[in-house]
Formats: sequence, C-alpha cells, structure tokens
Amino acid sequence: MLFKKNVVIPEYYEFFNSVKIISGYKALEAIPFELSRLGAKRPIIITDKGVAQAGLIKYVVDSFGGTDTVVGAIYDETPQDSSNIVVNQIASIYRANNCDSIIAVGGGSAIDTAKGVNIVITENSDDLLKFMGNYRLSKPMKPFAVIPTTAGTGSEVTMVAVIANPEKNVKMSFTSELLLPKFTVLDPRMTASMPSKITAATGMDALTHAVEAFIGTQKNPVSDAFAAAAMELIRNNIVTVVKEGGNKDVRLAMANASMLAGLAFSNSMVGVVHATAHATGGICHVPHGVANSILLPFGLEFYIGKSPKTKEYIESLLLHVAGPEMYVQTAPAERAVKAVAAIRSITSELNKLCGLPVRLSEVGVTEDKLESIAKSTLNDGALSFSPVEVSFEEALGVIKAAY
Amino acid sequence: MKAVSDYKEIVPKKKWFETIVVRVFFFFIGMGMQTAYRIDPDVRKEVDSWPETFSFCMSVVGGPSMLMLKKAGSFQYLGEKETFYCDVEMCFKNITFAYLIMTGRISVPNAIYHNRQFVKGSLNYGMSIIRVMNIVQTLLLPNFLARFYIKKVPKLTLKKLVNRAITYFNIGYGVIK
Repeated sequence: MLFKKNVVIPEYYEFFNSVKIISGYKALEAIPFELSRLGAKRPIIITDKGVAQAGLIKYVVDSFGGTDTVVGAIYDETPQDSSNIVVNQIASIYRANNCDSIIAVGGGSAIDTAKGVNIVITENSDDLLKFMGNYRLSKPMKPFAVIPTTAGTGSEVTMVAVIANPEKNVKMSFTSELLLPKFTVLDPRMTASMPSKITAATGMDALTHAVEAFIGTQKNPVSDAFAAAAMELIRNNIVTVVKEGGNKDVRLAMANASMLAGLAFSNSMVGVVHATAHATGGICHVPHGVANSILLPFGLEFYIGKSPKTKEYIESLLLHVAGPEMYVQTAPAERAVKAVAAIRSITSELNKLCGLPVRLSEVGVTEDKLESIAKSTLNDGALSFSPVEVSFEEALGVIKAAY
Repeated sequence: MKAVSDYKEIVPKKKWFETIVVRVFFFFIGMGMQTAYRIDPDVRKEVDSWPETFSFCMSVVGGPSMLMLKKAGSFQYLGEKETFYCDVEMCFKNITFAYLIMTGRISVPNAIYHNRQFVKGSLNYGMSIIRVMNIVQTLLLPNFLARFYIKKVPKLTLKKLVNRAITYFNIGYGVIK
C-alpha cells in the first residue's frame, strides 16, 4: 500500500459499478425514457404498504403519463423481512401480466425482493436456494430500476440481496454484479415523508457505510472520493434533514449521500461495525441503521487500539466528519479520538432531536444475548474484510461496550 | 499492409513452473486440512458445524484445483477431482496471483482485500473455511513464515509442535502413497 497522508494508492485494486444515476427534482419523469432505452414498456412495480399509503406510488405512475409505457402491475405487500414465498408470488404476477421489467420503490426490503424476483424470472426457477451465495448467477437480468424511499441502505447501487427462507430457517444472501440495477432515480419527493427517527437512523446507516468504506481494507482512490463526498454531505445535512423533513434540498442531499456511500462501501467493503450490526439485527431484530449508528463509534475505538494503519485512516476521517476547521485545530495525535467524538456528537444530537438510540440496551438487546451476537459476528462475511483479526472475546468486547 | 491471412492465432506460453508450485501447495493444504481435522479440536469443531455432506474446492480459473469432501464423519482431501458443483469454491483469478500468494509474496488477507480471489457460494461457510485454513497454515508453517499468510499468528506451544510433526508425517505418507 503506497500511503502518503490522506492519499492511498493500493498496490492493486478493482472498482466496479454500472448503475446509471438520475438525481434531481422531477427526476422520476425520466423513467419511461430510460425503460424504452432498455427495450421495456411494461414494468411491474414492487413496493410495500407504507410506501403505497404515503402516496409515493402515485408520483411514479404519474411520471408515465403521456408516454406509451404502462404499468404491468403494482405489488404493494412486500413485508419488512421479505421471503422466497413473496418473491415467487411476485414472479407469478410478473408472468401473468406479461411484464418486461422491474421497478423497486422502497427501502432495503422492497429492493432486495425485487432483486430476488429478477433472479427467479431470469433463471426461470422458483428455487432461490440454488442461487444463494456469491457469483452463482450467470444470465443477464431483466431491466431493473430502483427508486429508494429511504436515504441509507445504498441498495440502489449494491450487488447484494438478502431474502429469508422461512421453511429452512435461513437468510439467503445473493451477491452478483448481475444484480445491479440498470438505473436508479433519486427524487426528493420520494423521501420527503419519511418520519424523523427513520430519517436519522438511515442517515447514520449511510454515514457508517461511508466511514467503513473510508477505512476499509479495499479502500482505493475511487471509493475514497465517493466516501469523502458522502461524509461531507451527511455532516452538513443530517441534523437539518431531521429538523426540516419537508426541505427538498436537504432530502436530495441525503439521498445522494446514501447513494455515494453505497458506491463506496460496495467496493471498499465494510468491517467490524457491520459484522456486529448484522449479528445484532439477526438475533435481536434491531433495525440495521439503528444498530450501525450505535456500534459505529465503538467499532472505530476497537480499531484505534488494534491497528496503527487503520488509526491513521481514522485520523484522516476527522476532516470529513468534523470539517476542515476542526481538522487543522486538532493535533495529529488526537485526530483519531476526535473523529470518534465528532461522530458521537452527531448521534447524541440526533438522540435529543428524535430519540435515536445510542446504546444497545435501549433497543431491546438483553445481556444474555450478547454472547450469541458475538458468536454470530464471527461468521459474518464482513469480518473477512476487517483490517485486524477479530476473536470472540474482542467481538464481545465491542458489543459489551455498546450495550 | 498485411493481408487478412497474415493475422494468426497467438497461443500464450503455459506457466508450467507457477502451475507446479500451486499444485504442490494445494496438495500440502489439502493433506494438512485432512490431518488437522483428526488432531486439532478447533478444526474439528469448525468442520463439524458444516452440513453433513459438504464439498469445498480451491481452484485457479482455468488451472489446478483441490477438492475437500466432508461425508459420513470424515473430512477428506480428494486431490484434483473435477466436480460439477461445490458448496463453496475459493477461486484465484489467475495462476500468477495464486503463485504469488502461495509463495508468500502476497499475503492471503491482502489477496482477499485486492479481490485477486473470490468466493463462490455461502460466505458464512467461507468464513469458517478461512478459519480452518488459518489453523492449518499455523500447523504447516513456522511462525516467521505464517505471518505472511494470516492476520494473527498464535503462540507456539509444545502441542502445536507435536501436531506439526504429525501433519508433516501424514503429508509425507500421502506423498509415498
């Protein structure tokens, strides 16, 4: 690794993302053209009840007005934890209505479900288990677009989907470049009605993605550029967006931050914060954004004590999470600790504004579950990208500190 | 100007040396894993947590490979057997990458970070396999060499030395057999 303060050129790196990004006011109106470019005129819209009840689907359907594109069907019953049963049900609707493309409108669950539907339709098989894991897909997928209604997951630009299989009691994870949408539309109308607590949690999720990407083991100049831009947008907008949910400028800024963080972390990968957050979510059903928000400062503190190289990256992080003034005013030896403090001050302000939890004990995690969470952390794929080896005791230490 | 017929197919040189080195390392790792399952409780615990029948393959795209099979209470190295399907496959993208990794010039963690290798199949089992391989590498290699291959090298104990001797004996026996 060729390293000279703030600029890291790895000996070797790869960066990939093929998603076209359409961002701005009335951006939804670009959808019919983008679909026609892909030879599609009859999409199925996959969403959930919350999105439908908020009236957001109307914006999407209205955008098709005056064109020859029609909506083949709207599925608005995607549950919070999607399953292969739902995926197969939607695939039947897709076939019965002669749809030719898929549009996901929603958060992580609707997007992951749509990715699952695309696998089932493309591979012409209703057994998703066969395609579980990394690089199991080989056929080019149906035209697929994503319209996120939260600003946090970054799923609109990532190549991963997680779908539950309740019969076998497993969470199936799918990773393939083929799962990437053809385009994504960031329109501030789609996130404007998000409640303040969810806005805060998803915003912190995006910040965690950007931070872990910036200190990640596959970090490179391209992912750094995206991560730094994301952190700057979040730093300047996260508090405002929670205070002024109807402000379209900050909504658009946060949607872009989430997308940029997604681009960064899907290439630079994440580490101990995500591994512990996934385990916490899996065992105690804590929402992913909330778990990330709570665990982020503790994960960074773990790295500061364990990896001198990562500590140097965390020092550079101060510039992006606290701003240039704070960065130059802080002595180099104190920058890493100050960077963590800057993140804590954001979460504590969000806690005061909308009650965003700052401890695992506040979100229903009980002490007797901590060991199971630590055990599950060790099997999480994100841990293979941690810059340091994490033992059971160390994982438990991070979780206990956050408890 | 050249005629169309002057443009011939170009067949690149085979990388014999790299291929042989990688094959030898695959053999060592495969035999090492088989032995470690019998003598190391940590390896046994990991492998026993996998499904009853489970196959794991390490391969180079278009090059050598090694297959491990867990079946009916045993964990066996099956050599370079071709399979249609493996539960988890660790693939090196090129023989040169595999060669540089096997000879310690690129550490295994760095190879993962650089994307010079990728995992096909469940990453959860992939994590467990990596833990098994880490233990096997500490059995096969002296500590000063093991640090090129794994993130954290455990302290050398008498038990580890004995296990290392047994592993080498089994590998030697495997070569003769």
